[in-house]
Amino acid sequence: MEGILFPHAVPEGREGLKEYRARGGYDALANAIKGTPQDIVRVVSEAGLRGRGGAGFPTGKKWQFTREAPETPRYLVMNGGEDEPGSKKDRVLLENLPHLVIEGVILSAFAIGANKAYLYINARYDAAIKSITDALAEAKAAAHWGDKILGSDFNLDIEIIPAPHNYVAGEDTAVLEVIEGKKPLPRQKPPFPVTVGLFGKPTSVNNVETLANVAPILLKGADWYRKFGTAESPGTMIFSLDDDVNRPGVYELPFGTPLRHLIEACGGGLKSGKPIKAIMPAAPSSAYLSPEKIDTPLDHNSMRDAGSGLGCGVVKLISEGTCIVEEVLRIADFFTAESCGQCPACRMETNALSMMMKKVQAGQGGQPILEQFGKILAFNKGKGFCNLIAMPGPPIESALKLFPADFEAHLTTGKCPAN
Amino acid sequence: MSQACLVCQNIDCKSRGSEPLMAALQQKIAAKGLTDVEVKSYMCFGACQEGPNIVVYPEKNWYAHVKPEDLDEIVEHLAGGPHVKRLDTIDSSLKELIYQLLDTGVF
Repeated sequence: MEGILFPHAVPEGREGLKEYRARGGYDALANAIKGTPQDIVRVVSEAGLRGRGGAGFPTGKKWQFTREAPETPRYLVMNGGEDEPGSKKDRVLLENLPHLVIEGVILSAFAIGANKAYLYINARYDAAIKSITDALAEAKAAAHWGDKILGSDFNLDIEIIPAPHNYVAGEDTAVLEVIEGKKPLPRQKPPFPVTVGLFGKPTSVNNVETLANVAPILLKGADWYRKFGTAESPGTMIFSLDDDVNRPGVYELPFGTPLRHLIEACGGGLKSGKPIKAIMPAAPSSAYLSPEKIDTPLDHNSMRDAGSGLGCGVVKLISEGTCIVEEVLRIADFFTAESCGQCPACRMETNALSMMMKKVQAGQGGQPILEQFGKILAFNKGKGFCNLIAMPGPPIESALKLFPADFEAHLTTGKCPAN
Repeated sequence: MSQACLVCQNIDCKSRGSEPLMAALQQKIAAKGLTDVEVKSYMCFGACQEGPNIVVYPEKNWYAHVKPEDLDEIVEHLAGGPHVKRLDTIDSSLKELIYQLLDTGVF
């Protein structure tokens, strides 16, 4: 099936301006700039575009909120921090299809009435930063951004901001802090960035993949876009598969595609050759699914109904014979290390979960320690400025529910069942 | 029965002086000759706004907002004197959560 972002296959090499123009690139901009910003918001809303950074928030709605906020100036921020372990989609888009991303940025800035856009890109992505820098130069020379874009009255300045590569630096308000020259610490919400964002002004923070969808939607229309995916999750999403499968990489699939297709047809199944023990559809912060759920459609609602989530599409597989205690200990330690430390509840929760899981691994604490996990998570629910505090819960609680034997083995013998 | 004095050494309690507080407590306990009381640091009790926090375990007494001038009374308590009631301000549900955690051996 043809794709939206990768029309034929996952691209190789950087697509230059000439090649992009040859397939209709910047035509959407040339058309849109003759119309009104509201037209863009309307078409993107009709297409049902939802954010691809993990939360799945309707993009048109986010833009509408930003547009309607009384303060000016307004800002557009492209979030390319991509700190989710295993996620590769933003890097591929930035490196290989920089003009698709840039056209999306310009259109989105026009839609919300921003004259300044910041491109926040993971500082480790040297090739992506180079590719975007080169593409920006090409696009500026062609009057696609800068003053009086394509002869219109619309002016837009674009600036690249290298993103620190710790986990919370990808959180949208931490992104704003970095652009303001501060440490990547999430802000308390509300107020949300759409009303009080960058430099206190209305700001739309959109993921790279979200923005890459904007030009194709405007070029081909909402009806065309809705031919892909499901009614609630229209379009496609780029999924990342890690080295646990035979063919790791990124795969663009329409929402609603069965998980099995991604794992088997795209990824070629587990490299270990063993049966699947568990699937984590949004690593590392989603609930594990048992292998019977392999036919669950890859869309927000179906994944939620199955007891997990879609996140930003990093699908991780656990082979039979792997001990889940070791897996969740790694996850607990990851969140402990990545907690920024500004919220006491998050510090307490992540530290306690790590220490408790280490006790379990060492075979200490008996059955009562298992009951403490839920209590610690419940105590800290809803506390903290950002969502990190809610992230260790789904993997830990689903692991306890789905694989009690692994925990039991550690607690009774002090040994890992995998060894 | 030997007791542990768990003194929180996380950012908030530290910013409220829990580091020198822990050292002073250690000295006072030694001076008093309490050989069955061990002073240990703890990662966080989840009551940061009420720090510095000291939990006496396993007897389960929690002292909050502890200042250097409170230490003599706490040491008296550890030596068998009365419990320092005015420093016992923590909500019972949090106490229960933390005591359960300590009971499972998470130190």
